[in-house]
Amino acid sequence: MFEFFFKYPATVFSKGQFVLLGAWPAWILAASIVAIAAGLGWRLWRRSGFLTGARPAAIWLLQTLLAALLLFLLWHPAISIATLRPQQNIVSVLIDDSRSMSLKEDGATRLEQAIKGLNGVLEPLRKRFQVRLYRIGKETQRIEKTDQLTGSATATQLGEGMIQALADTSTLPLGAVVLLTDGADNSGGIDRDTISQIRQRQIPIHTVGFGKEKVERDVEVSDATVPARTLADARLAADVTFRSFGYAGQKAKLVVRDAGKVLATQEVTLKGDGVPQTEHAQFNAGIAGAKSYQFSIEGLTGEENAANNAVTRLVNVESSKPRILYIEGEPRWEFKFIRRAVEDDRSLRLVTILRTTQNKIYVQGADNQKEFEAGFPSTAEQLFGFSGLIIGDVQASYFTPAQQDLIREFANRRGGGILFLGGRETLSDGGYPRSPLAELLPVRLLDRKDTFHRDNATFDLSVLGRDSVICRLEEKADRNAERWKKMPVIADYQEVGEAKPGAVVLADVITAGKRRSPLLVTQNYGRGRTALFATSGSWRWQMLQPVEDKTHEMFWQQLLRWLISDTPGRVLTSTPKPVLADESRVRLRAEVRDKTFKTLSNVRVMAHVVGPEGIAADVELNPAPLEEGVYTADWTAEKPGSYTAEVTVQPPDGAAKVVEDMGRDVLMFRREDGVAENFRTAQNRELLEKLADQTGGRYYTAKDMSKLADQISYSEAGITTRETKDLWDMPIVFLLALMLRSMEWLLRRRWGVV
Amino acid sequence: MVATFCCLAMYAQRGYMPFNDDEGPAIAPKDASEKTEWAFARLMYPSGRFFGQAGYWTIDAPKAERQFVQGVRRLTRIHTRSKEEFVSLESDEIFKWPWIYAVEPGHWLLSDEDCKKLRDYLLRGGFLMTDDFHGTDEWEVFMASMSKVFPDKPVVEIDSSDAIFHVLYDLDDRVQVPGIVNYPFHQTYEKDGRVPHWRAIYDDRGRIMVAICFNQDNGDAWEWADSPHYPEKYTSQAYRTGINYIIYSMTH
Repeated sequence: MFEFFFKYPATVFSKGQFVLLGAWPAWILAASIVAIAAGLGWRLWRRSGFLTGARPAAIWLLQTLLAALLLFLLWHPAISIATLRPQQNIVSVLIDDSRSMSLKEDGATRLEQAIKGLNGVLEPLRKRFQVRLYRIGKETQRIEKTDQLTGSATATQLGEGMIQALADTSTLPLGAVVLLTDGADNSGGIDRDTISQIRQRQIPIHTVGFGKEKVERDVEVSDATVPARTLADARLAADVTFRSFGYAGQKAKLVVRDAGKVLATQEVTLKGDGVPQTEHAQFNAGIAGAKSYQFSIEGLTGEENAANNAVTRLVNVESSKPRILYIEGEPRWEFKFIRRAVEDDRSLRLVTILRTTQNKIYVQGADNQKEFEAGFPSTAEQLFGFSGLIIGDVQASYFTPAQQDLIREFANRRGGGILFLGGRETLSDGGYPRSPLAELLPVRLLDRKDTFHRDNATFDLSVLGRDSVICRLEEKADRNAERWKKMPVIADYQEVGEAKPGAVVLADVITAGKRRSPLLVTQNYGRGRTALFATSGSWRWQMLQPVEDKTHEMFWQQLLRWLISDTPGRVLTSTPKPVLADESRVRLRAEVRDKTFKTLSNVRVMAHVVGPEGIAADVELNPAPLEEGVYTADWTAEKPGSYTAEVTVQPPDGAAKVVEDMGRDVLMFRREDGVAENFRTAQNRELLEKLADQTGGRYYTAKDMSKLADQISYSEAGITTRETKDLWDMPIVFLLALMLRSMEWLLRRRWGVV
Repeated sequence: MVATFCCLAMYAQRGYMPFNDDEGPAIAPKDASEKTEWAFARLMYPSGRFFGQAGYWTIDAPKAERQFVQGVRRLTRIHTRSKEEFVSLESDEIFKWPWIYAVEPGHWLLSDEDCKKLRDYLLRGGFLMTDDFHGTDEWEVFMASMSKVFPDKPVVEIDSSDAIFHVLYDLDDRVQVPGIVNYPFHQTYEKDGRVPHWRAIYDDRGRIMVAICFNQDNGDAWEWADSPHYPEKYTSQAYRTGINYIIYSMTH
């Protein structure tokens, strides 16, 4: 339509330069228009006849516009534009050959539609340019014919593909690049550097988009966050994020699997189209080992793409049995029943110090009783050997100032978990408000005594508590909440103040007088975490329920596993992408500390990587420039499959041999090929429009791709010539003149002055 | 006939002992209503009547426990109530008292329901200390009920290395603690119970659920701890045994 009225495509106007080819300067044109306008005005004023009011002005305006138009044409207006010289320039055509292009829409795959469209423009293009064809997938490859395209590449890396195509013609006159794709890039998008590199060469990228811009019926799981490591039998919580199209309000199932075995299932109600939705799932980590959990949304019919309904996440279920130190100030039933509750726990070990008399302690669970001859540890080396700490009914003054600092550093620097229990000689009744230990608590303490009450009270689960791994007794959230409501009362409770900012109240206590006070509260503190369980009466859950009931055991096992499952060792490894979806580069990162958990800078950090098909490599990690005690390395995972990197710390070269273990950690990652293309399959028109706009190209739909051959010539890149295109014979000019004259005639007729 | 005669003779001797029989109702201590972590919970059980008085479960009560808990308060950090608690297998209240004491179980006659509840109580984590029963006949009566509580678990002698003898006091060298009937203590046994036994029933994880003090009378040793006529060495051992049993029950 545009070309019908304006003779040339819009590109000519947007890229070209307007010029007046007439011999007389432009100011004479302006002066002439002013003179004609004045003359017409004088004439109408003198001979207005029957025209009154604003009517002469309207007639004057129409006559002036017509005269101005005719004068404008006399000055010979034209567009000067750079065009590619025929047969002297190259046009690179990049075709997305990834698997997402094999998706069938309207009876043909995206690739078939692209080839069909390309065949339509290839001949006209070849008449004017040398055309080079490239296929873009995981890598970019030059091809001779379109029948070399298969639509089977396992990833799309558009940015790299374009850079490679540009590099291939760096010494040749490249006039333009045509990119045929659905825009579903899965290498993290086209970054600013890539755009900048393309712009430096001033090559216009013309993009042609294929595929539906909006999926009709589909569910796509985009992410699942789960801890990288946990303990055997620990309860794991995962947040699964997904979007759905065309299923708003419908029910589906969120399923968690380990090696095909269903670990958890829960019903979810799907939100509106494209609305990101995150659901919380919990399951048991099971026995120790390298686990590959799959999170999927199932139970829907008629999906366009069922291959994007699941994601996989790796978790290292550790076989170690971390130790928790429990110091208790007096014999209490809670002490006995906590010990019993975790006795069978395969994932942790409880070492207890109990003050039986004023001057005697009773130690249980320790390998070496002599280790605690002096009572509570007074050195970082001794205390930091534990992953968790429970402080029972112990007065603050029982700990020396140095021990109090050590306890704070246990959470802050060592990254351990500390659990405070209620009691008659602890918290507000034990001098905590005025001790450094108060800072560790997730609640503010009341500044008065007599806060501990041996009265029955009810455990009331909060909204956040319902989703917590600590309080989950039943798989289904509603059944879990019901079960908590039926729990026996606890034997006692301790009043505390409000939760500190950032702390999470998982449960309140409701007293006989219907008063409410935080009971179970957690928070992160430094590298670790702290929690408060302001009672010593949960043992009633064991004694007042049938022998078969395992509520008490489950609660304490889950609470203590939470306390230590994120406690790092002396070496803490990580990688930003534990699952490499059609990628091969992996970054290994290790944070190294000594026995007192101070960062270690002058050591040698090695990773022994073992992968599929016998892959084995030793990789040295180098100190990160700005982070003390951090070592990194980049490594290429050559083949798809699971990899395990055992990171060990050794003395620096030349240093004396150290017999003791300086720490080790295991990192797992997985390379998955052929996965990325199943995700984000809708046409990313926004990306393609942006790319074309920023490089001086144009975005085309599959339907208007035929115009490409004509419009591609207008480019500043390559070998160009300047063309001048007359504007006087544009149909719009004649139509405008005709319209101005007709309007005057129609107005005069209406006013009866013809 | 012989047994009746012996009993009557024993009963007749009571007036000649230098002990005041003040086992009857006692005035509650001032802090009797204090809410504490632990209280001496005496098990009320069905039995014949003791010389026309209350059942056998009442023997030595409340003086024995009131004197004993003073020692528990003084010697340990256990938050202890000065007044005892009487608990029964007829009520679920027993589950709120994870340590119970049964005296003279050589006379108890537990019903099937009692046995079931006692079993439940012990398996959930409760602890039973039995004391003051002697000789073959009373053992058989004791076992008649106990074998209904745990038909599948044996009664075994506690090894001296067991934690229960070391949790606070080391009780490797133990003697027979005599009852008051043995005054002036030329002999320390009653009936044919010449050899004292510290027996137990363990749970599947090797923890003592029932601690059986057989052929000994710790209750009398507690009760007469304030008497210059009752030998201190027996009282000392009885206190240590009782305290060890309590702390064991609160740690295992």
